[in-house]
Amino acid sequence: MEVPKKIGNFESDMSREIPKEDRYLIERLRQPESCRDAFNEVIRCYSEPLYWQIRRMVENHDDAADVLQNTFLKAWQSIENFRGDAKLSTWLYKIAANESISHLSRERKRLNISIDEEESYLIDLIEADEWTDGDEIALKLRKAVASLPEKQRLVFNMKYYDEMKYERMSEILGTSVGALKASYHLAVKKIEKALTE
Amino acid sequence: MKEKNSDILERAGHRDGMTVPEGFFDAFAERMQSALPENPAAERTAQVLPRSVWDRIRPFVYMAAMFAGIWCMLKMFTLMGDQHVDLSIDNNEILTEALSDDNFIYDHFVDDINQREIFDTMYDDSIGIEDIEILENDSILPN
Repeated sequence: MEVPKKIGNFESDMSREIPKEDRYLIERLRQPESCRDAFNEVIRCYSEPLYWQIRRMVENHDDAADVLQNTFLKAWQSIENFRGDAKLSTWLYKIAANESISHLSRERKRLNISIDEEESYLIDLIEADEWTDGDEIALKLRKAVASLPEKQRLVFNMKYYDEMKYERMSEILGTSVGALKASYHLAVKKIEKALTE
Repeated sequence: MKEKNSDILERAGHRDGMTVPEGFFDAFAERMQSALPENPAAERTAQVLPRSVWDRIRPFVYMAAMFAGIWCMLKMFTLMGDQHVDLSIDNNEILTEALSDDNFIYDHFVDDINQREIFDTMYDDSIGIEDIEILENDSILPN
């Protein structure tokens, strides 16, 4: 049975201040005795929002599950490097974004497709995706979003689907707010153009 | 047409139409938790090792070495300073002999004193001209 997608995003996590629950988790992550339990909690809390971010990039459920697993493994292996001066979600989101892009790059190499052919590769994945609710408008939009370059797609997904603030996106992607605004504006224009073709 | 396309963004209502199998997130969390490898860097508990004798006396040894170094430096500077020429009167025969000669004192010290300054000082001390004449007559002051 299919489960409709919850709006699993970081909309409740918009302020720059580290949330109280995060601070408690970070504190426990730093203690060797409670580190593993705290990370298990991180997995429970962040699996869903991270999954949707990844899924929108890789456009396939199985691949998204693999990338999500790699994201948590990377986070776990470098947990001692997490200084705790940023939000846990920001740090995880960064890893997930990098892992998604690395996955796409690996797939391009594996299937021997150029970056220009990625659009058709993604559209094939969208069309073959069995885990959808059959919403035609959403499907049409997904295909149009697939025509965007990777970084722009990331920006569009964060802004449009997650309704994330530019300041937050800037923290995650390490790009200026102005550049992100321009990138989103361009993305919307390209989607409009793709929909007219 | 353009308005219609922009409408799609609004009509999509920020939904992407994606779904997951039922219970996927719970199953994933369980699978992920059990698949987490050992992480020695994060999970290593700090071990309290017994302190050896050397560990205990080390700070004192370092402190003693520091004081010894300071003493050596001071000694070295003192030895370097001893090379200067001794100008003290007690150890200088020529100077002692000169200072015991009244004429030398008179020629080189008394005569060098400005008489005007002496008179000013004496005047300040309520010593009058007649007193100065007495002093001159007694040959205490130079003519």
